[in-house]
Amino acid sequence: MIISQLGYYSLIFGLLTSIFIFLNSSIQLKKNILVISDKSIGLIGFQFFFVFISFISLIFSFIISDFSNETVYNNSHTTKPLFYKITGTWGNHEGSLLLWLLVLTGVLLGFVFKSRNEPNNYRLLTILFHQITVIGFFIFVLKTSNPFNAIFPVQMEGLGLNPILQDPALGIHPPILYLGYVGTSIIFSAALASMISNYVNKSWAKNIKFWILFSWIFLTGGILLGSIWAYYELGWGGFWFWDPVENVSLMPWLSLTALLHCIVTLEKRELFKKWTIVLCIITFALSMVGTFLVRSGILNSVHTFANDPSRGIYILTFILVLVLLSFVIFVIYENKNFTQKSEIFTLSKETAVLINNWFILYFLSVVLIGTIYPIFLDVILDEQISVGPPFYNKLILPFLIPFVLFMSIGPSMKWIKTNFKFGAKSFFVIIFTLILSFITVYYIGEKNIFILLLFIGFFYLLLKSLDQFREKTKNFAQIFSHTGFSLLLISILLNSFSSREIVKNIQVGESFTLKNEKIIFKKIAIEKEKNYESVVGFFEILDDKNTIINLQPEIRIYNEPEMATSEASIKTTLFKDRFITINIIKDQNFFNVRYQHKPFMIWIWISTLIIMLGGMFAIFRKNKEVNI
Amino acid sequence: MFMKSKILLTIKILIIFILISFNLKNITMASTFSEEQTINITKNLRCLICQGQTIHESNSDFAESMKKYIKGELQNGKTDEEIFSSLVEKYGQWIVYDPGISRNTLLLWALPLLLFLIGGAIIGKRIFKKI
Repeated sequence: MIISQLGYYSLIFGLLTSIFIFLNSSIQLKKNILVISDKSIGLIGFQFFFVFISFISLIFSFIISDFSNETVYNNSHTTKPLFYKITGTWGNHEGSLLLWLLVLTGVLLGFVFKSRNEPNNYRLLTILFHQITVIGFFIFVLKTSNPFNAIFPVQMEGLGLNPILQDPALGIHPPILYLGYVGTSIIFSAALASMISNYVNKSWAKNIKFWILFSWIFLTGGILLGSIWAYYELGWGGFWFWDPVENVSLMPWLSLTALLHCIVTLEKRELFKKWTIVLCIITFALSMVGTFLVRSGILNSVHTFANDPSRGIYILTFILVLVLLSFVIFVIYENKNFTQKSEIFTLSKETAVLINNWFILYFLSVVLIGTIYPIFLDVILDEQISVGPPFYNKLILPFLIPFVLFMSIGPSMKWIKTNFKFGAKSFFVIIFTLILSFITVYYIGEKNIFILLLFIGFFYLLLKSLDQFREKTKNFAQIFSHTGFSLLLISILLNSFSSREIVKNIQVGESFTLKNEKIIFKKIAIEKEKNYESVVGFFEILDDKNTIINLQPEIRIYNEPEMATSEASIKTTLFKDRFITINIIKDQNFFNVRYQHKPFMIWIWISTLIIMLGGMFAIFRKNKEVNI
Repeated sequence: MFMKSKILLTIKILIIFILISFNLKNITMASTFSEEQTINITKNLRCLICQGQTIHESNSDFAESMKKYIKGELQNGKTDEEIFSSLVEKYGQWIVYDPGISRNTLLLWALPLLLFLIGGAIIGKRIFKKI
């Protein structure tokens, strides 16, 4: 079809534009013509435009169900609702890489506009380095993952989209996540450029901070959406399982968080130049490693769209080239352009940032090693092990306590030097923390001293963060994100310790109890939708005050592809979620019913939103001279 | 010298935390058989025929029969450890989500901790350089 042709040739033109921009900026740099004319900005605009046209063509092919296109044929079906036809565009390997490319070219365009007041040699170099990544991905898409492959003869009907991906949260999860993920590419390009152009200073920090915050906010949002989806769609009531694919998004998030704190130090004090650059490189490398792990099919999960070794090898080679390139540049310019100045006083905000980085990088190494160690063990010794939640809990939880304590006092440190006063106020905060923690631990009936310590740490962080609202120069970015983070930890801990669940095999008309609630299985009904049929169970929950809560979990049998999914029914209140799923037991009249109490679930989502809000405060704060 | 002792103290505290966390499981697990104990076990077992699901979450035939088997073993008075080790023997280390400490996994546990100590040393040197 003509649309696919348009999309394909648009990609080719995009690649040609990139090569031209690359050559053009190298020539300019060589001849020392340090201007960025409207023409070159126009070229970058065209590059984005070509990918955009290509992307729109693919979406259009999905909307009209053009089954002469292989990607559409493999991942769509005429009976699907329009929304899922559209989201199906990025619900597969080829389409998601096109989205990747779209964001990749988009952030460069954004960067060129946002950096108008920066030196032109720095901008030119950034464009140059970015083109290397862009060209690499263009070739990757065209060579190994062309979304516009034609199939002949033209098929009448497509194979359909995996039912568990047919979900609103998952529809917007990839674009949001990719904005964060791929946003790190411009940080990488700019870091290399700033090194060569000797521009690693306060103004650079100010300029690149926007992109760090941008990536960080979207990555947080993307992870949040993924967790929410996992919570209600996968049907077991969990939101995080330390699955490799989750880890892969957490790793760049961790290094971005570390980078975020570093860049502020660079902006205020011109410190940690080398380390900031290294973090910029690490962050992008981790995004790429994530792409490699997910796309190569090494990992076993719902995100693995295809199992194609040639793709894996291409990305792996590409990562190596980029890392090697940045390593060489780093070694050459390390001592040339960096003058490390001034000492750090022990009690200062600088120290606090260092400790922050120390812990975050440790958490990062736990996640990284936990994710890739099993792969290496499998390849080298042919032994398969699973690294799951127990590993991460054991290595991360104990370290969280000192981490949150440092995090509590860090913000009240001053730049350069702090004189600590231990006044009555600090004393009250501690007393109040202890009271809160003891009450909580007593309330959830946990006798373990370690759990108590965790609560003390988390509550101390919460109170210290809230306490800052009373200060004269408020830094809302920091207050909100730290408050959000402490609330997140508290909610997760409460949630994991006081979740209750019961699994029963029952027939219609029977009932069972959980704590002081009675769960009655009223009836079942069959409903027919466009793309699935569903068996709906009607349940009534009677609590101790005899209020009735109705829950209607479903089993959906999708037609294309034929597959059954279990849809949870959730009743959310401020303090707990009631969560119910049903499953059919083969050849019997019984249903497998799983009923759960998930306390403080909504607070996990709210606190993550508060963390993001903190990031937004930082973006929109207009260059006012405030501390972090 | 004052600072050195502070570092030592930090390290000591860390070691204590690690020890506590390793003992966590032993403390929290009661010996009487209960629904919760079954859940605790099945949550740490991989459903071998599913994609990244625990036996607890899965409703596959394999998971269902495993759940029955584990309940039976618990009723027979077997401990969690005995059940885990018999399953590992039968299906390999792949089935349990806790990699445990063995010859193969020593580096898995040690590397992050080692990196933490190295990082601490570098930062400590930077902060206390002048003193």
